[in-house]
Amino acid sequence: MPGTTWAYDLVVAKVEAIEYGDRKVFSVAAFNRGLADWLGRLPTVWVEGEITELRRQERWQTVFFTLKDKDGGACVEAALPRRRFDALGLDLTNGERVHVYGRPEVWPQKGELRLQVLSIERFGLGAHLAALEQLKQKLAAEGLFAAERKRALPRLPRRIGLVTGNDAAAKRDVIASVTSRFPPAQLLVAETRVQGHRAAVDIAAALRAVATQPSVDVIVLARGGGSFEDLLPFSDERLVRAVVDCPVPVVSAVGHEQDTPLCDLAADARASTPTAAARLVVPDLAELTATLERRREALRRSGRAVLDRQRDRLERETDRLRRGGRLLLERRRNALEHCAGRLRTLSPRATLTRGYAIVRLSDAVVRSATALAIDDHVDVELAEGRFAGRVEEVGP
Amino acid sequence: MTSDVTFEQAEAELRMIVERLESGDVAIDEAIALWERGEALYVICRERLDAAEGKVEELTERVQAAKPSA
Repeated sequence: MPGTTWAYDLVVAKVEAIEYGDRKVFSVAAFNRGLADWLGRLPTVWVEGEITELRRQERWQTVFFTLKDKDGGACVEAALPRRRFDALGLDLTNGERVHVYGRPEVWPQKGELRLQVLSIERFGLGAHLAALEQLKQKLAAEGLFAAERKRALPRLPRRIGLVTGNDAAAKRDVIASVTSRFPPAQLLVAETRVQGHRAAVDIAAALRAVATQPSVDVIVLARGGGSFEDLLPFSDERLVRAVVDCPVPVVSAVGHEQDTPLCDLAADARASTPTAAARLVVPDLAELTATLERRREALRRSGRAVLDRQRDRLERETDRLRRGGRLLLERRRNALEHCAGRLRTLSPRATLTRGYAIVRLSDAVVRSATALAIDDHVDVELAEGRFAGRVEEVGP
Repeated sequence: MTSDVTFEQAEAELRMIVERLESGDVAIDEAIALWERGEALYVICRERLDAAEGKVEELTERVQAAKPSA
């Protein structure tokens, strides 16, 4: 394909000058032709840019577009035959970055410069992916994505910062999800452009601005789904670092489930949908109220139960105390009575009541008849009373 | 008979007297004296027990009177 000279052939013509004295003067057509001829000798080159103002119509033989630098906005008109454009099968749309192979050409009728396109290659994806992967490795090596860096989200944020695009459905969805879950939620919304080459810087600035507002306890960074290029700002190193440095926890709700922009990795939590983001930043008020109510009831019940248990125990202890006192006395009394019983059984008087007598001679108890002599005076003690006597006879 | 003797002291002495009498190795006069002493100790112990029981009953009644009606 490169090297085809169809366009060149069309403008090859003889350039003739009219001479006025020693001045050579060209007609406009001749000038244009001369220019075209000269430009035609330039080599074919690759030019990188963004496709804008793409004009392709079935009845046109030629497809036109403007190739534009992403930064700075320099433009050049480009054109190629429709059949060639269609044969590329790229299905290009405005905003896509491409490498265009072609050469400059002047349109002889108008003297306008344009890029005659020989081939187009979609550029970016591979190169971007490689750059992205490299950045990811670098930031990961710095520990910016480390799990221990993740901060816990507040259970009940006083204010929720929301950084989102000014027309984004994401903004509406996040606000709706948050307020339906937790109606008294307070949101501070910062709208910023989320696309284009300044997006990353703008979003980072918005993030910093919201973070410094009073009472903002958490920030949701939200952006709906989009193409790979659309989500690129969310992988920009400047934004990733802003997320890391953000003084309050950040929830990243960028793109869809399958997208993993680097800010997702740097954020303290990641949500794949606005609803998921809402679940992360606010509690379900209805559920919270129900739980509180249940706890309160349980508290009341358990408080009462503890009191009842203590009262029962006190009653039992008091009973035991009283019974214990009585029981102790009872035992002592029983022991005492038992002891007294034994005392009485042993009492000499008890023996006397059975008919025995104690015989004393000069206050000494007489145990043997040999201690006695005839006419000794003895004292005899009985169970009741006593009498004196004289010994008349002494037996063996 | 001193009145400041405790129940435990009186009871211990009483028990000792009973044990001595039970051993049988006691002269009759001493036995009589021991027995009389034992009876006196018994009276002391009884008095102490009665007093203690009275106090328990009194306390119980006081506590029950002070208890709020549930």
